Amino acid sequence: MAGTFVVYSDKTAIAIELIGFCRGSGKRAVALAFDAAAAQEYAARGAERVLLIECGQNLPEAYAKAVAGVLEREGAEGFIVGSTVRGREMAARVAGYLKWPLVSDVSKLVCEEKELVTERPAYGGAVVQQERVKLPAVVTVPAGKFEPAATSGAGAEVVTLEAQPDERTVLLERASVEKQGADLGSAEKIVCAGMGFAKKEDLKLAFDLAAVIGAEVGCSRSVAEERNWLPTDVYIGISGATVKPRLYLSIGVSGQVQHVVGIRDSRVIAAIDLNENAPIFKAADYGIVGDLYEVVPALIEALKNC
Amino acid sequence: MANVIVCYKWVIDEKDIRMNPDRSVDTSRAQRKISEYDKNAIEAGIRAAAKLGASPVGLTFGGTEAKQSLKDALSRGLEAVYWIGHPAAGTADGLLTARVLAAAAEKIGDYSLIVCGEGASDTYARQVGPRLGALLDLPVVTAVCDMEIDGEQLIATRKLEDCIEKVKVSLPAVISVLPEINEAPVPTLKAVLAAGKKPSQEFTLQSLGLKEEELQPGTSVTGVLAYVMDRKNVILKDGDVATRVKEFVTYLKKEGVI
Ligand SMILES: Cc1cc2nc3c(=O)[nH]c(=O)nc-3n(C[C@H](O)[C@H](O)[C@H](O)COP(=O)(O)OP(=O)(O)OC[C@H]3O[C@@H](n4cnc5c(N)ncnc54)[C@H](O)[C@@H]3O)c2cc1C
Repeated sequence: MAGTFVVYSDKTAIAIELIGFCRGSGKRAVALAFDAAAAQEYAARGAERVLLIECGQNLPEAYAKAVAGVLEREGAEGFIVGSTVRGREMAARVAGYLKWPLVSDVSKLVCEEKELVTERPAYGGAVVQQERVKLPAVVTVPAGKFEPAATSGAGAEVVTLEAQPDERTVLLERASVEKQGADLGSAEKIVCAGMGFAKKEDLKLAFDLAAVIGAEVGCSRSVAEERNWLPTDVYIGISGATVKPRLYLSIGVSGQVQHVVGIRDSRVIAAIDLNENAPIFKAADYGIVGDLYEVVPALIEALKNC
Repeated sequence: MANVIVCYKWVIDEKDIRMNPDRSVDTSRAQRKISEYDKNAIEAGIRAAAKLGASPVGLTFGGTEAKQSLKDALSRGLEAVYWIGHPAAGTADGLLTARVLAAAAEKIGDYSLIVCGEGASDTYARQVGPRLGALLDLPVVTAVCDMEIDGEQLIATRKLEDCIEKVKVSLPAVISVLPEINEAPVPTLKAVLAAGKKPSQEFTLQSLGLKEEELQPGTSVTGVLAYVMDRKNVILKDGDVATRVKEFVTYLKKEGVI
């Protein structure tokens, strides 16, 4: 299958996975970079051609119109973009300028002769939507979907392009956010606190349990956003963190789909909840129906003694 | 007076969706609502309009049932709503939706700002706002969690995965806002009553200059399946707490996770 796909992500690691996807689909991978270091990396990691737009302190998204022009000049039939905030904006603006279809956040992506076959979540993850889209098209792809391209010996040519940004947006300030809570993405075990807790002080039970088994503490969105009991960067779900620990253990989390979609890749899901009909039990491997104020202290004791 | 246009979607309420054992999805009995994220977008649009001395107006593209959304939208403080009700909305993707909304925005005219929710609560594709910006060739800011108006400029705070950015954008512009930008108030009874007296206007696709052949989506949906969780579902509910806890621990040990 001949043809060219242009790849972009503001996260270098994702871009390298997407180059892997293009090569695996028999496409010529042209990587787009906004800084020289990333460009060198792509050149060594399987891209057949690397286009560098030096944007300095600017926003890559401000070059969306220029990027649409680049895609046309390259004769690209696909724009494969990493699903991040920046990537999604770039993808949608470029799709808008080119009037190409765009499938966002695909969970599956297969390239056929003249089409992409995709799957993506809908209704907060309760539903899987399968789609077909004719090339040329744009897709955004989350991290971890494809194997990174292998290191290529020769190293591709890096071409620096002059491009005109949209000067109507100006970046005033960029501040990295310091993680306030645990890094849940890489946690081996997670204890997750839900609205079943009556008071903020009672969260101590969750932290005590976490300490006994060596887990990090996360929560549902309501605990972070409505109650402000824990920092927003530790809430799990479609609008929060996606986690894949070996053990996810929830306490007083009802298990609405928007939450559960963030824990699906956990190896073992366990839950404690008062309500035996809580949806979390349908999503769980093991569950205890009971009052957390009785169950958790008993569980802590049992775990200490084993 | 200039307009601040807020785009919103009249979506199926996800809690009314039924999943059949064969993984088919039944939405036939589902109620509809304004997409949750768009409630925050409406509130953001109203606040921005107050600062700009502009009029906050709603815009929605949906099936014929979208008409039912007008009162709810108006009770949230919008001064007028423009709507397009067409069966093509049922299979519309971002390409088609943005095309229709762009044509409608041009028809409404004289806008200083277009506000969208970051994504719709059904598809959550997060593409219509930035696409709309491209079609109108306007500057775009997505993932906005805070904003200030400074004369003809808007200063937006955006939330990315690992950083916060402050961006200055000249108006007119398109922004898409995150739900944390504000708390969308529940409309008061007075606002609900007042909504009945506010104007709404239907745009036909013809009046927007769109032809039938321009109503094709770019993607075709070939399947809609319930997501199934394949889990062991061992739920301990009988016996005293100590017994249930003991059994629970035994299982987790066997799995080698504690
Ligand atoms: C567009 C959208 C996006 C969303 N994104 C997210 C997201 O990313 N993450 C997220 O988490 N949510 C998200 N939500 C919210 C989600 O729908 C739920 O409202 C939320 O997850 C509920 O949190 P919870 O389970 O802690 O609270 P609840 O649903 O109130 O559940 C509390 C549970 O505690 C149990 N309980 C009460 N008392 C006790 C006790 N003494 N002992 C044991 N159990 C007890 C109850 O039986 C109940 O099951 C989103 C919603 C929308 C509409």
